[in-house]
Amino acid sequence: MHSIDEATSTAQPALTCLIVDDSAFMRLRLRLMMESLERVSTSEAANGTEAIQEYGRLKPDIVLMDIIMPGMEGVETVKKICEADPNARVIMISSLSHKEKIAEAKAAGARYFIPKPVTAEELRKAMNDVLSSPETNRSAGNL
Amino acid sequence: MRLDFVKAFVDSTTMLFKEFAGPSSDMSSPMMRPSPHAGNEVMAIIGLSGEAQGRVIFDMDLSTAVELASHMIGEPSPGMTPLVRSSIAELASMAIGRAISEINDNGTRLHMSPPTVITGANLTSDDQCFETLVAPINTAYGEVRVNITIQDLD
Repeated sequence: MHSIDEATSTAQPALTCLIVDDSAFMRLRLRLMMESLERVSTSEAANGTEAIQEYGRLKPDIVLMDIIMPGMEGVETVKKICEADPNARVIMISSLSHKEKIAEAKAAGARYFIPKPVTAEELRKAMNDVLSSPETNRSAGNL
Repeated sequence: MRLDFVKAFVDSTTMLFKEFAGPSSDMSSPMMRPSPHAGNEVMAIIGLSGEAQGRVIFDMDLSTAVELASHMIGEPSPGMTPLVRSSIAELASMAIGRAISEINDNGTRLHMSPPTVITGANLTSDDQCFETLVAPINTAYGEVRVNITIQDLD
Protein backbone atom coordinates (compact mmCIF):
# COMPACT_ATOMS: atom_id res chain seq x y z
CA MET A 1 0.00 0.00 0.00
CA HIS A 2 1.32 3.44 -0.91
CA SER A 3 1.63 6.20 1.66
CA ILE A 4 -0.47 9.33 1.53
CA ASP A 5 2.58 11.28 0.30
CA GLU A 6 3.14 8.84 -2.55
CA ALA A 7 -0.53 8.85 -3.40
CA THR A 8 -0.61 12.61 -3.67
CA SER A 9 2.50 12.93 -5.79
CA THR A 10 2.30 10.11 -8.32
CA ALA A 11 -0.18 8.57 -10.69
CA GLN A 12 -1.43 6.13 -8.07
CA PRO A 13 -5.21 5.67 -7.97
CA ALA A 14 -7.03 7.87 -5.47
CA LEU A 15 -7.15 6.70 -1.88
CA THR A 16 -10.64 6.03 -0.63
CA CYS A 17 -11.63 7.08 2.86
CA LEU A 18 -14.79 6.43 4.86
CA ILE A 19 -15.51 9.10 7.50
CA VAL A 20 -17.72 7.88 10.35
CA ASP A 21 -19.04 10.46 12.83
CA ASP A 22 -22.53 11.34 14.04
CA SER A 23 -21.53 15.01 13.98
CA ALA A 24 -22.17 16.71 10.63
CA PHE A 25 -19.67 19.35 11.68
CA MET A 26 -16.91 16.77 12.24
CA ARG A 27 -17.70 14.98 8.98
CA LEU A 28 -17.38 18.31 7.15
CA ARG A 29 -14.16 19.20 8.97
CA LEU A 30 -12.57 15.81 8.29
CA ARG A 31 -13.73 15.80 4.66
CA LEU A 32 -12.14 19.21 4.06
CA MET A 33 -8.91 18.01 5.68
CA MET A 34 -8.86 14.83 3.61
CA GLU A 35 -9.71 16.61 0.38
CA SER A 36 -6.86 19.06 1.00
CA LEU A 37 -4.68 16.02 0.36
CA GLU A 38 -4.86 15.51 -3.39
CA ARG A 39 -6.19 12.24 -4.80
CA VAL A 40 -8.24 11.30 -1.77
CA SER A 41 -11.87 10.37 -2.31
CA THR A 42 -14.19 10.46 0.73
CA SER A 43 -17.53 8.99 1.67
CA GLU A 44 -19.43 9.38 4.93
CA ALA A 45 -21.51 7.49 7.47
CA ALA A 46 -23.35 9.02 10.43
CA ASN A 47 -23.53 5.94 12.69
CA GLY A 48 -22.12 2.46 13.24
CA THR A 49 -24.77 0.61 11.25
CA GLU A 50 -24.30 2.86 8.22
CA ALA A 51 -20.54 2.50 8.57
CA ILE A 52 -20.64 -1.29 8.37
CA GLN A 53 -22.89 -1.15 5.31
CA GLU A 54 -20.69 1.43 3.59
CA TYR A 55 -17.50 -0.44 4.45
CA GLY A 56 -18.87 -3.60 2.86
CA ARG A 57 -19.97 -1.70 -0.22
CA LEU A 58 -16.89 0.48 -0.73
CA LYS A 59 -13.99 -1.43 0.89
CA PRO A 60 -12.21 1.89 1.53
CA ASP A 61 -8.44 2.11 1.96
CA ILE A 62 -8.90 3.83 5.30
CA VAL A 63 -11.63 4.55 7.87
CA LEU A 64 -11.76 7.54 10.22
CA MET A 65 -13.97 6.52 13.15
CA ASP A 66 -15.52 8.48 16.01
CA ILE A 67 -16.24 6.72 19.34
CA ILE A 68 -19.19 8.51 20.93
CA MET A 69 -22.18 7.88 18.67
CA PRO A 70 -25.83 7.13 19.41
CA GLY A 71 -26.71 3.46 18.86
CA MET A 72 -23.71 1.35 17.93
CA GLU A 73 -20.70 3.32 19.16
CA GLY A 74 -17.31 3.45 17.48
CA VAL A 75 -15.35 0.71 19.25
CA GLU A 76 -18.09 -1.86 18.64
CA THR A 77 -18.33 -0.75 15.01
CA VAL A 78 -14.57 -1.16 14.50
CA LYS A 79 -14.73 -4.61 16.05
CA LYS A 80 -17.40 -5.70 13.57
CA ILE A 81 -15.58 -4.19 10.59
CA CYS A 82 -12.26 -5.81 11.56
CA GLU A 83 -13.91 -9.19 12.19
CA ALA A 84 -15.26 -9.05 8.63
CA ASP A 85 -12.01 -7.67 7.18
CA PRO A 86 -8.85 -8.15 9.27
CA ASN A 87 -7.01 -5.90 6.81
CA ALA A 88 -9.25 -2.91 7.56
CA ARG A 89 -7.24 0.20 8.36
CA VAL A 90 -9.07 2.21 10.98
CA ILE A 91 -7.97 5.44 12.63
CA MET A 92 -9.98 6.34 15.73
CA ILE A 93 -10.62 10.05 16.25
CA SER A 94 -12.31 10.86 19.52
CA SER A 95 -12.61 13.39 22.31
CA LEU A 96 -12.39 10.41 24.70
CA SER A 97 -8.69 9.60 24.81
CA HIS A 98 -8.00 8.00 28.18
CA LYS A 99 -5.78 4.95 28.34
CA GLU A 100 -8.63 2.48 28.84
CA LYS A 101 -10.53 3.79 25.81
CA ILE A 102 -7.41 3.69 23.62
CA ALA A 103 -6.78 0.10 24.74
CA GLU A 104 -10.39 -0.82 23.86
CA ALA A 105 -9.95 0.72 20.41
CA LYS A 106 -6.72 -1.20 19.85
CA ALA A 107 -8.30 -4.46 20.98
CA ALA A 108 -11.17 -3.88 18.56
CA GLY A 109 -8.72 -3.53 15.66
CA ALA A 110 -7.99 0.19 15.33
CA ARG A 111 -4.44 0.94 14.21
CA TYR A 112 -4.07 4.54 15.32
CA PHE A 113 -5.76 6.94 17.74
CA ILE A 114 -5.99 10.72 17.42
CA PRO A 115 -7.59 12.78 20.21
CA LYS A 116 -10.01 15.48 19.10
CA PRO A 117 -9.64 18.21 18.06
CA VAL A 118 -7.61 16.72 15.22
CA THR A 119 -5.28 18.79 13.03
CA ALA A 120 -4.48 18.20 9.37
CA GLU A 121 -0.89 17.45 10.29
CA GLU A 122 -1.89 14.81 12.84
CA LEU A 123 -4.19 13.27 10.26
CA ARG A 124 -1.47 13.18 7.59
CA LYS A 125 0.95 11.54 10.05
CA ALA A 126 -1.62 8.94 11.03
CA MET A 127 -2.47 8.19 7.41
CA ASN A 128 1.19 7.74 6.49
CA ASP A 129 1.78 5.50 9.47
CA VAL A 130 -1.23 3.30 8.89
CA LEU A 131 -0.94 3.07 5.12
CA SER A 132 2.74 2.16 5.22
CA SER A 133 2.23 -0.66 7.73
CA PRO A 134 1.96 -4.23 6.45
CA GLU A 135 -1.52 -5.63 6.11
CA THR A 136 -2.84 -7.52 9.18
CA ASN A 137 0.18 -6.24 11.12
CA ARG A 138 -0.94 -3.36 13.28
CA SER A 139 1.20 -0.28 13.48
CA ALA A 140 2.60 0.75 16.81
CA GLY A 141 1.38 4.27 16.03
CA ASN A 142 0.33 5.79 19.28
CA LEU A 143 -1.62 2.73 20.30
CA MET B 1 -19.87 19.02 44.35
CA ARG B 2 -16.59 17.50 43.14
CA LEU B 3 -14.48 20.61 42.67
CA ASP B 4 -11.54 18.62 41.30
CA PHE B 5 -13.78 17.39 38.47
CA VAL B 6 -15.21 20.86 38.00
CA LYS B 7 -11.70 22.24 37.55
CA ALA B 8 -11.00 19.65 34.85
CA PHE B 9 -14.18 20.67 32.99
CA VAL B 10 -13.45 24.40 33.30
CA ASP B 11 -9.80 24.09 32.22
CA SER B 12 -10.66 21.86 29.26
CA THR B 13 -13.52 24.09 28.13
CA THR B 14 -11.46 27.26 28.38
CA MET B 15 -8.64 25.69 26.36
CA LEU B 16 -11.00 24.44 23.68
CA PHE B 17 -12.81 27.76 23.35
CA LYS B 18 -9.48 29.52 22.88
CA GLU B 19 -8.81 27.13 20.03
CA PHE B 20 -12.21 27.25 18.35
CA ALA B 21 -13.62 30.66 19.28
CA GLY B 22 -10.36 32.61 19.28
CA PRO B 23 -7.49 33.20 21.72
CA SER B 24 -9.27 36.15 23.35
CA SER B 25 -11.88 33.74 24.79
CA ASP B 26 -11.60 33.71 28.56
CA MET B 27 -13.57 32.75 31.62
CA SER B 28 -14.83 35.39 34.03
CA SER B 29 -15.48 34.66 37.70
CA PRO B 30 -17.44 31.44 38.20
CA MET B 31 -20.33 31.43 40.68
CA MET B 32 -22.25 28.80 42.63
CA ARG B 33 -26.00 28.55 42.21
CA PRO B 34 -28.54 26.24 43.82
CA SER B 35 -29.57 24.97 40.37
CA PRO B 36 -28.51 25.54 36.74
CA HIS B 37 -29.15 29.10 35.68
CA ALA B 38 -29.58 28.32 32.01
CA GLY B 39 -32.00 30.87 30.62
CA ASN B 40 -30.81 31.48 27.10
CA GLU B 41 -32.07 30.28 23.74
CA VAL B 42 -29.60 27.47 23.03
CA MET B 43 -28.53 24.68 25.38
CA ALA B 44 -26.10 21.83 24.72
CA ILE B 45 -26.53 19.17 27.40
CA ILE B 46 -24.16 16.32 28.25
CA GLY B 47 -25.04 13.74 30.90
CA LEU B 48 -22.36 12.31 33.20
CA SER B 49 -22.51 8.84 34.74
CA GLY B 50 -20.27 6.25 36.33
CA GLU B 51 -18.66 6.65 39.75
CA ALA B 52 -20.13 10.17 39.83
CA GLN B 53 -23.22 11.60 38.20
CA GLY B 54 -24.28 14.96 36.91
CA ARG B 55 -24.59 17.05 33.84
CA VAL B 56 -22.91 19.88 31.99
CA ILE B 57 -25.05 22.45 30.19
CA PHE B 58 -23.59 25.00 27.79
CA ASP B 59 -26.08 27.82 27.28
CA MET B 60 -25.91 30.86 25.03
CA ASP B 61 -27.96 33.31 22.99
CA LEU B 62 -29.08 32.25 19.53
CA SER B 63 -26.89 34.88 17.87
CA THR B 64 -23.86 33.70 19.84
CA ALA B 65 -24.50 30.10 18.80
CA VAL B 66 -24.88 31.01 15.13
CA GLU B 67 -21.83 33.30 15.04
CA LEU B 68 -19.65 30.88 17.00
CA ALA B 69 -20.64 27.98 14.76
CA SER B 70 -20.13 30.10 11.63
CA HIS B 71 -16.59 30.79 12.80
CA MET B 72 -16.02 27.07 13.38
CA ILE B 73 -17.49 26.14 9.99
CA GLY B 74 -15.60 28.87 8.16
CA GLU B 75 -18.57 30.53 6.49
CA PRO B 76 -21.64 32.52 7.59
CA SER B 77 -24.71 30.55 8.61
CA PRO B 78 -28.20 31.94 7.97
CA GLY B 79 -29.55 30.78 11.35
CA MET B 80 -29.85 27.73 13.57
CA THR B 81 -29.23 25.20 10.79
CA PRO B 82 -28.52 21.50 11.46
CA LEU B 83 -24.82 22.19 10.83
CA VAL B 84 -24.85 24.97 13.44
CA ARG B 85 -26.50 22.64 15.97
CA SER B 86 -23.93 19.98 15.16
CA SER B 87 -21.05 22.43 15.61
CA ILE B 88 -22.27 23.54 19.04
CA ALA B 89 -22.82 19.92 20.08
CA GLU B 90 -19.35 18.92 18.94
CA LEU B 91 -17.74 21.86 20.73
CA ALA B 92 -19.39 20.76 23.97
CA SER B 93 -18.51 17.12 23.35
CA MET B 94 -14.82 17.87 22.72
CA ALA B 95 -14.56 20.05 25.82
CA ILE B 96 -16.17 17.55 28.15
CA GLY B 97 -14.60 14.50 26.50
CA ARG B 98 -11.12 15.85 27.07
CA ALA B 99 -11.88 16.49 30.76
CA ILE B 100 -13.45 13.05 31.20
CA SER B 101 -10.34 11.44 29.71
CA GLU B 102 -8.19 13.23 32.28
CA ILE B 103 -10.54 12.21 35.12
CA ASN B 104 -10.52 8.56 33.99
CA ASP B 105 -6.74 8.52 33.71
CA ASN B 106 -6.65 9.78 37.31
CA GLY B 107 -8.62 6.75 38.48
CA THR B 108 -12.34 7.68 38.47
CA ARG B 109 -14.60 5.96 35.98
CA LEU B 110 -16.80 8.59 34.38
CA HIS B 111 -18.81 8.34 31.18
CA MET B 112 -20.54 10.95 29.06
CA SER B 113 -23.66 10.86 26.92
CA PRO B 114 -23.70 12.19 23.36
CA PRO B 115 -24.60 15.89 23.49
CA THR B 116 -28.18 17.05 23.02
CA VAL B 117 -28.86 20.54 21.67
CA ILE B 118 -32.14 22.25 22.58
CA THR B 119 -33.34 25.60 21.28
CA GLY B 120 -36.21 27.79 22.44
CA ALA B 121 -37.02 30.91 24.44
CA ASN B 122 -35.97 31.20 28.11
CA LEU B 123 -34.86 27.60 28.48
CA THR B 124 -34.37 26.41 32.05
CA SER B 125 -33.36 23.17 33.73
CA ASP B 126 -35.45 21.56 36.46
CA ASP B 127 -32.52 20.23 38.53
CA GLN B 128 -33.65 22.10 41.61
CA CYS B 129 -31.76 19.98 44.10
CA PHE B 130 -28.25 20.09 42.69
CA GLU B 131 -25.78 22.83 43.38
CA THR B 132 -24.29 24.09 40.14
CA LEU B 133 -21.13 25.95 39.25
CA VAL B 134 -21.75 28.47 36.48
CA ALA B 135 -18.63 29.47 34.54
CA PRO B 136 -19.18 32.30 32.01
CA ILE B 137 -16.83 32.23 29.02
CA ASN B 138 -16.52 35.49 27.10
CA THR B 139 -15.88 35.02 23.40
CA ALA B 140 -15.74 37.40 20.44
CA TYR B 141 -19.24 36.12 19.56
CA GLY B 142 -20.88 36.59 22.96
CA GLU B 143 -21.05 34.85 26.32
CA VAL B 144 -21.32 31.08 26.74
CA ARG B 145 -22.19 29.84 30.24
CA VAL B 146 -20.98 26.44 31.34
CA ASN B 147 -23.27 25.01 34.06
CA ILE B 148 -21.58 22.10 35.84
CA THR B 149 -23.33 19.78 38.28
CA ILE B 150 -21.51 16.70 39.51
CA GLN B 151 -21.90 14.58 42.63
CA ASP B 152 -20.25 11.42 43.92
CA LEU B 153 -22.49 8.35 44.00
CA ASP B 154 -22.62 7.97 47.79
